[in-house]
Amino acid sequence: MALLSIKNLTIGYQTKEGILKAVDDISFELEKGRPLGFVGESGCGKTTLGMTLMGLLPDNARILGGSIGFQNKDLTQLNEDQWRKVRGKEIAMIFQAAMNALNPVMRVDEQVIEAIVTHQPEISPNDLENRINELFDLVEIPRARMKDFPHEYSGGMKQRVIIAMALACNPKLIIADEPTTALDVIVQDQILKEIKIIQQAMDTGLIFISHDIAVVASVCEDICVMYGGQIVETGTKQEVFASPRHPYTKALLGSYLSLDNQASVIIPDMREAPDLTLKSGSCRFAVNCKRCSRACKIGIPHWANISKTHRVLCCDETITGKTNE
Amino acid sequence: MSKLNPKKSPLIEMKGVTKEYTPRKQFFSKSQNKVLALNSIDLSIEKGEIFGLVGQSGSGKTTTGRLLVRLEAPTSGSIYLNGSPINRLKGASLKAYRSKVQMIFQDPYQSLNPHLSISDTILEPLVVHGIGNASAQREKVLHTLEIVGLTPSNDFYDRYPHQLSGGQRQRVAVARAIVLDPDFIVADEPTSMLDATIAIQLFKLLTDIRKKFDMTFLFITHNLAAANYLCDKIAVIHEGHIVEVNTTDKIIHHPEHPYTKKLIQVQPGFNFGGRRG
Amino acid sequence: MLKTHYIRRFLKSWKIFIQNPLGKTGVIILTVFMLMALASFIVPHINPMYDPMTGIDPDIRVSTGPSLTHFLGTDNVGRDLFAQLLEGAKVAFIVGLSSAFFSIVIGTVVGMVSGYAGGMLDAFLMRMADIIMVMPSLVILLILASLFGQFNIWIIVFIIAIMRWPAVSRVIRSQTLSLKQRPFIEASQVAGASHLRIIFRHIMPNVLPLAFLYMTFRVTSAILVEAALSFLGFGDPSQVSWGMMLQWVWKSGHMFQAPYWLIPPGLSISLLTLAFYLLGRAMDEVLDPRLRKEGQS
Repeated sequence: MALLSIKNLTIGYQTKEGILKAVDDISFELEKGRPLGFVGESGCGKTTLGMTLMGLLPDNARILGGSIGFQNKDLTQLNEDQWRKVRGKEIAMIFQAAMNALNPVMRVDEQVIEAIVTHQPEISPNDLENRINELFDLVEIPRARMKDFPHEYSGGMKQRVIIAMALACNPKLIIADEPTTALDVIVQDQILKEIKIIQQAMDTGLIFISHDIAVVASVCEDICVMYGGQIVETGTKQEVFASPRHPYTKALLGSYLSLDNQASVIIPDMREAPDLTLKSGSCRFAVNCKRCSRACKIGIPHWANISKTHRVLCCDETITGKTNE
Repeated sequence: MSKLNPKKSPLIEMKGVTKEYTPRKQFFSKSQNKVLALNSIDLSIEKGEIFGLVGQSGSGKTTTGRLLVRLEAPTSGSIYLNGSPINRLKGASLKAYRSKVQMIFQDPYQSLNPHLSISDTILEPLVVHGIGNASAQREKVLHTLEIVGLTPSNDFYDRYPHQLSGGQRQRVAVARAIVLDPDFIVADEPTSMLDATIAIQLFKLLTDIRKKFDMTFLFITHNLAAANYLCDKIAVIHEGHIVEVNTTDKIIHHPEHPYTKKLIQVQPGFNFGGRRG
Repeated sequence: MLKTHYIRRFLKSWKIFIQNPLGKTGVIILTVFMLMALASFIVPHINPMYDPMTGIDPDIRVSTGPSLTHFLGTDNVGRDLFAQLLEGAKVAFIVGLSSAFFSIVIGTVVGMVSGYAGGMLDAFLMRMADIIMVMPSLVILLILASLFGQFNIWIIVFIIAIMRWPAVSRVIRSQTLSLKQRPFIEASQVAGASHLRIIFRHIMPNVLPLAFLYMTFRVTSAILVEAALSFLGFGDPSQVSWGMMLQWVWKSGHMFQAPYWLIPPGLSISLLTLAFYLLGRAMDEVLDPRLRKEGQS
């Protein structure tokens, strides 16, 4: 049974130019044991998606349609009081640059305690102490440093505290939104390894959002590639990264720089920032796509199954068909 | 690259450069007297090179860039441009130096004055150095806009930063850096705030500029893979020390220093083989 | 290029400003008083009897109430009160706007130079500002007035400006300090721009909106200071101001007998300062987008 089941979700922002669809009719399912990665660049909607899953959309954003099935509830229907019971307890989030979210005048352990006690006010002092120790051990922060202030911690340690706070109440689902973007490469490596270990040890569902495809590939099993508010390709990481179908996925992979892929770097000719005001159902990538035909401009891209798990959203037959180009 | 002059002196040289900061006392911190951002570093950049300076935050890489453009002065040590020392330059000679050494800043959203049009921003270096009359300056700016790919140039001429995307703003920053035909450009993490698909287009622009103008770059980055893609030589900097300098190929494939090796090891990578194209 | 940009931005700000109920009210009140001030130039020419200082209605010897010939009535020597009120509006605007303007100019320049230069210059200028700020301006003015006798209106304007620039400079200075760190300032330095150029071309346009905002507050305080001075008898004797009117109604013993004489100047002072205050509040909204309501840009 899927832990999280999203169907036809659409989220819009009210602006003076009209409604901007940041997320346009997306559907996917999350299995507990298979971390799911969302990869895409600015304007793709992945951060909006993350915020929606925590009920943290700003005032001018609205869920325009669709459902979010989680633990026999539809999260799109929750009011703020109901969200408060879910947030932190059942679904927890690790934000980008979350280390700036720590209160500078409060000791670190007190902040984690606060996270626990908010959702478990009746916890006994003994249990609380055990839990704190457990958490700090889990994120590999020495117990001797538990009573320090945030500014005495390095960036990596602060991020680990944030992870500890997210795990404090044994959530069923963790949403990590660019958790390592602000960290050094060496620290990032450690944190990513820890996230993987923790996810497996605690058997939580994990949604990992990032613009960095390698980071997503190192943590997740399944991938959703997002562009302009739509999921344009999805599948296992092997399928999506080794045999990408959608032109955007290919552009993303072609722009990726690693230490050994000089030859396969392809410079895309893309304009920045997708146009989110296009009418629903039209292909948002068309303006950048070299294969864009007249059919693409007027047609509605549809889902084509490449395999049981690999799907791509496109109008073009050569892309969706099983034939090679 | 003349064979007649085998001992050609490098374009930029840093010898024993040290930079110390004495921070103001902070409320909660334990007493710290000095912060050593750079500890006696040596660097040598040849003309026409794209030289990479790779380090993580706090390593001193940004400080190095700032010293080279004289936003700050070294505490000790010397910096040379074409053999002449630049440490003590003041007034007119400092201004002359500025026309030869320019910088591309990291944040495209903060490095352009929001009240000035694109043309005003790119005109400023020309105006400040009194180069050409008004129509010659206008021509130069339009020409530069075309070089950096902001076309039609008349259109971009009158626009304002808030009307441009991040990648376009960075191109304006590049235009401002090259408009004076400098000898040397410091690019301080020019793509770290851009999407990957846009960043790579900017890299292409930089290599095109290097080819076209025989331009010399110092490319400062935390991303070893980007340095690998762009640079001829790489210097790895860590906690104010240069731990290793070599050609890109040697650094990536035959690293010697343990820190370099560690950096290479933790590069997130994935290899599924298969086509990308 | 720069001009059209400023004009466009001004119009955009104006739209937001005028949608704000505070701004609307402020502008309406202000317009009324401005018309009054302008009218004060014309009125004495209609009939010399209406000259606020010297015009005396030959038929009237005592203070009278409102009538058709004298909308507000006359004072105790037969001068038209409405004409005096109009002249008072003119004086209020002159004093208010000029002294505010001068204090802004001085305060902005000092603030920018202080913030940008830092070091000893900054310390020196800010100490001077502190010293002036703690001096009770009204008391100083009174002392000076009692020493030198009555003041010409421009001396009053000047002294108010001198007393008031420090508050402006502090705000502008902190704005400058934060701007100084912005990369586009450093980019100009790297391009070779001189300090003067950076201050006036890059920093000033960014602090100017704040300076104008503060100007509205300065105007209210300047008007009040002038009114107080005049009321106490130290105003410029060649001008009729509202404070002066209040002084006359008091001195001539008509305070409780002639409400038509007492109320208009007092009310005018309150309304005009209120108008400027409302303007300032509305401008706040223009400058800080977070204060705007949904649906506005």
